[in-house]
Amino acid sequence: MKFVISKDIEHSKLLNTLMIGVSAALFFYLVFDLILHGFIIGSDISTISTTLYGNAEEFIEPILLDALLLQVHIDLFISLFTLMILATIYIRLFSEEKMTKWFVHLLFIFGLLAPMMLFAAYMANIFFAYIWIFTLLFGHLLAIFFVLRIVKRLITL
Amino acid sequence: MKNTHLYILPIFYMVLYTMAILVSGVLLFLLSQGLGEESVAMTLSNIIHSPVTKSIYGLVEVATPHLASMGMIIFLVAHFLLFSTNFSKRFSKKISIVLFGVAFANIFSYFLISFEIFASGWVKLCMMGTFVLLFVFVLLLVLFSLFSSHSKETRPSKFP
Repeated sequence: MKFVISKDIEHSKLLNTLMIGVSAALFFYLVFDLILHGFIIGSDISTISTTLYGNAEEFIEPILLDALLLQVHIDLFISLFTLMILATIYIRLFSEEKMTKWFVHLLFIFGLLAPMMLFAAYMANIFFAYIWIFTLLFGHLLAIFFVLRIVKRLITL
Repeated sequence: MKNTHLYILPIFYMVLYTMAILVSGVLLFLLSQGLGEESVAMTLSNIIHSPVTKSIYGLVEVATPHLASMGMIIFLVAHFLLFSTNFSKRFSKKISIVLFGVAFANIFSYFLISFEIFASGWVKLCMMGTFVLLFVFVLLLVLFSLFSSHSKETRPSKFP
């Protein structure tokens, strides 16, 4: 974080190139992470329900609690680093815009809520799965929006 | 670069995320020791008296990602103490070294049980408890530094 906000390298071409590179990597990560969650948990409410609660008619067992919690644990860790990098670069480039503060708040709240809602859906009921889909989808879309704006600004600098 | 005070937001959320990671990590460990079938008190008692036997493969499988991820997350959190004017660099350095040491001890303590150096699991419980408490303490230090510097309105100069 210190490197991104240092005034000594504010106009560094290399830093701009590196920020475009990490943004591109995070763009692909975000897209693939959505697809991966679709494979692991499910891409619609019926498959999500089957994954979380099983299906007695088709003899499908629900996901184990420790397997789900491990997914939540890993998601939180990866989200932390991904969002820290994205938010830091975004603030560097768009700190003068009024909406930046609220976008950053939303990004982190969606990122934190998504794994928690998945766990809540498993422990409580399917209602939380709808919130999980919403937070996961909009969190990723907002992060992709951050990436696209960052790359557009850096290319035009 | 104006409005550097906005950098407070990622640091604040980093503290929340780290707390959630710690809670889920402790829960995962307790689940692996039988929390699903028994109460928390009974699970803790089981860990002390008859910890679950783990193979070397199982231990290495858990230790490997944790060595990288715990190293990174401690570095990420503790490096924000560099910007603090509330705590001396010497204190920050000491607490960071202790935190790294306790993290390693926490990761490797189960090896001592598997190699039968300790028959009881108290060593793992002590190390995990110490690590969690110390990490929460460092997180609170970061939060305190963040909001005290924010309220003094010295925020832009806090960053290099």
